[in-house]
Amino acid sequence: MKTKRSSYVFVTVCLAALLIVSMLVAGCTSNGTTNSVPATASTTPAATAAPAAAQATAAATATQATSAAASSGQTLTLTGSTTVLPIAQAVADAYMANNSNVNIQVSGGGSGVGIQAIINQKVDIGMSSADVSAAQKAQDSQMNIITIAHDGIAIIVNPANTVQDISLDQVKAIYNGSVTSWTSLGGAGVPNSNNQIVLVGRDSSSGTRTYFDQVVMQNTNDSLTMHEDNSNGAVLQEVAQTPNAIGYISIGYLDNTVKALPIVTTNGHVIVPSVATVKDKTYPIHRDLYMITNGKPTGLANDYINYLLSPAGQQIVVAQGYVALNS
Amino acid sequence: MVSRMKEKFVRSIFFLTAFFAVIVVAFILLFLLRDGYSIFETVGVLNFLFGTIWAPAQVVPSYGISALIIGTLLVTLGAMVFAVPLSIGCAIYISELASPRMKSILKPATELLAGIPSVVYGFFGMIVLSTFIRITFNIPSGQTWLAGSILLGIMALPTIISVSEDAISSVPREYREGSLATGATRWQTISRVIVPAALSGIAAAIILGIGRAIGETMAVIMVTGNTAIVPNPIWNVLSSVRTLTGTLGIETGDVAVGSEHYHALFGVAVVLLLITLIINLSAVAILSHLRDGRRAGRAKRSWLHIPAFSPIREKLLPYSRIVLLALITLMLFAIGLWEVALIIILAAAIWHYGRDRISRRHIEIFAFGCVIAATVAVLAILAIILGYIIINGLPAISWDFLTQGPTDLGRSGGIFPAIVGTLYLVAGAILIALPLGVGAAVYLVEYTREGRITKLIRTGVDLLNGTPSIVFGLFGFAFLVLFLDIGVCLLSGMITLALMVLPTVIRTTEESLKNIPQSLREGSLALGATQWQTIKNVVIPPAIPGIVTGAILSIGRAAGETAPIMFVAVVFSTRFLPTSLFQPVMALPYHLFILSTNVPGSSTNKYGTALVLLILVVAFYSVAIVIRNHYAKKARG
Repeated sequence: MKTKRSSYVFVTVCLAALLIVSMLVAGCTSNGTTNSVPATASTTPAATAAPAAAQATAAATATQATSAAASSGQTLTLTGSTTVLPIAQAVADAYMANNSNVNIQVSGGGSGVGIQAIINQKVDIGMSSADVSAAQKAQDSQMNIITIAHDGIAIIVNPANTVQDISLDQVKAIYNGSVTSWTSLGGAGVPNSNNQIVLVGRDSSSGTRTYFDQVVMQNTNDSLTMHEDNSNGAVLQEVAQTPNAIGYISIGYLDNTVKALPIVTTNGHVIVPSVATVKDKTYPIHRDLYMITNGKPTGLANDYINYLLSPAGQQIVVAQGYVALNS
Repeated sequence: MVSRMKEKFVRSIFFLTAFFAVIVVAFILLFLLRDGYSIFETVGVLNFLFGTIWAPAQVVPSYGISALIIGTLLVTLGAMVFAVPLSIGCAIYISELASPRMKSILKPATELLAGIPSVVYGFFGMIVLSTFIRITFNIPSGQTWLAGSILLGIMALPTIISVSEDAISSVPREYREGSLATGATRWQTISRVIVPAALSGIAAAIILGIGRAIGETMAVIMVTGNTAIVPNPIWNVLSSVRTLTGTLGIETGDVAVGSEHYHALFGVAVVLLLITLIINLSAVAILSHLRDGRRAGRAKRSWLHIPAFSPIREKLLPYSRIVLLALITLMLFAIGLWEVALIIILAAAIWHYGRDRISRRHIEIFAFGCVIAATVAVLAILAIILGYIIINGLPAISWDFLTQGPTDLGRSGGIFPAIVGTLYLVAGAILIALPLGVGAAVYLVEYTREGRITKLIRTGVDLLNGTPSIVFGLFGFAFLVLFLDIGVCLLSGMITLALMVLPTVIRTTEESLKNIPQSLREGSLALGATQWQTIKNVVIPPAIPGIVTGAILSIGRAAGETAPIMFVAVVFSTRFLPTSLFQPVMALPYHLFILSTNVPGSSTNKYGTALVLLILVVAFYSVAIVIRNHYAKKARG
């Protein structure tokens, strides 16, 4: 009996220890949330990749945004494309900084999930990087599609690659498997390697893939040896650590771990993928990004989208590396 | 009268909880079939299963999953080639050679491997392992079958080690003593008597390990390259491949609900579920065969009853060795490691011709060397993974990181809402799973004799245990989110996770109930207590430590899972903590998955999140292990 009692004491102590630890973690629940909110807001300017200019404008429009937020203490939900997610999140951060009671929840999942969530009326705003199909539109006659930004798709290679530029025909030949070596493009290819091209693309339900298949592949088939990753970031990561890789990502994701190849057009111009070339539509692989609502947006959703479409919101779009709507 | 009514009532409640597992399995199958049926109709079952091209995005979409099935089988096979020798060596060391003190360190260490969340493995594999493979083999890309197999092998290690260690330890003492008394060395005893006697247990361990490897999603997505091709030639382990689970993991999120592609994905899930069902049922069959065999063996007290000494097996054994050797050398040749292959062939030849000339003592030293090397390798793997995450993660950990929300897509700020979200999810899951699981276990142990219904229930539990976590995710999405229209929220996530951990709760509770001596029950009943009173006051209280252990293990498992909650419960960011069950939450594993695959430039916070997740899960596991060991000691003393 004695052993039994001490056993109980032991279990109790163990459980208590666990409880205390979780309390410690969750203990910040009460003061943590209240503390963290203003702190979050104040760290945003310092930490974001956004240029100070964008932040300044965001702050300048604070009054504008605040006046719009008669709808305080509400929750706005956004779901969908991971390509649109960085814009939605950054705009949400700026919007929430000026409206301390508003909670904006952003989740990924993919364009398909975003559109379905709108059809099921489970979310306030759906995000999509792909055109909404006729079948999807047919399921929701109220569906309201808003273009919120332009985007270019950059062809990326590893920095070790010596290839300087590329034509869309070459890209197509690489992705359909007829060109398999970097040296076939002329030049030194990738030094200290066998020059065998590693194809990296997106999964077959990605909006970026759909668009790439239409515009670059002209609806011919991708090689089956293509590695399929499920996000822009994963493609970036793989190309950055694989010397022989080629990939394609939204220009919003470009950074110095990869090299974005300029495109040689049919009339011999060499066009660098950039905000400017996407904006004037000289860069050949560009598309639109969408937010989708059920009927005309109202209340907080309307405020949020208006803020996103305002000059301040479009500054944030630029700060995230995407292309603002023509202004 | 009243008390009899009450007894009946209590009994039927317990029956319902027990039957729940069967209902869930049926429901999962039903719902997957419901959404997957139309693809079998449009494409045709045979074309779907044996078609070679999986290309839903092509101009004319093609839905043939044979390459995916082959990919799944190859990756799993490779994982076993890697895991089986290591884990059996390690199991032999733990149960036969290690000192009690060593044992008390090694067992928890291998169990900690089980506690590392799969997304952390994937994260490690994506950054370290695939680069290592690319450079070592000088190939264009390290995202390969080999990378997937090594990672899955590591993940299957703890399952195989612990089950086969149990099997080896439960070989009766007399076998060991008898063999040693005839003058056999320790190694001869181990290799000729103990391991053969434990062979069916080891086989079951391997099959359970296969089940674990085949159902894994997140780690596979991150390292195999996801190319829907059959390796060419088929033993080319440096080719990239794609598995069934990987296809579900990367394509489900983006697909338009109700499209042909969507149905095809559910078709894939049905096939995956059926494959795991077959594997798990055969493990169950082997284990129950083993149990029956042992009972019979004990009754006769006969040595000759050990199946390992049957003449057919004796004849087949040398051939199987040759086949295995040939396979391994072929594979090594294929990937260009012909030097290693030559050495292996040479060693085999020396062994074959020289074994009679080498003294038994030297063989023993060599064999023990191998066994110890396997154990060291397992510990080294654990140390490398933990060390990598800890060294890179520590700089990110700060008070602010733990107590603030994320900013700038998680590149800066903290992970507080994700920590709390994970705690909410697992708390809810365990609140749902605990009553159901304990009820089911009580019914199985206390209320019934073994019969057709218990067999059905047990099979249901086993099947649920083997169901891949991504299948739970798809089921949650199809049933909770879309069909019941609950939406993506905390409640959906809790239910999905609860279903996933239910078998763990049932099994651990069952084990601890079985350990309660029958005399206690009989004493209580003899004093006139009803069965319910006996259960409530006599049986359950001493079983509580076991139940608590099971619950904590379940919490650890639920906290680390990504695949089940990915489509069901989580958001990438939210400002406030959820105030109702119908709001989505942030969760650590999902946060880590998004940071490592979707957000470039988040390195510090990425490692920090991995470390926090690791610490959280390992803490749960450690507490469970400590409680269990404490009681094991009590039971002995």
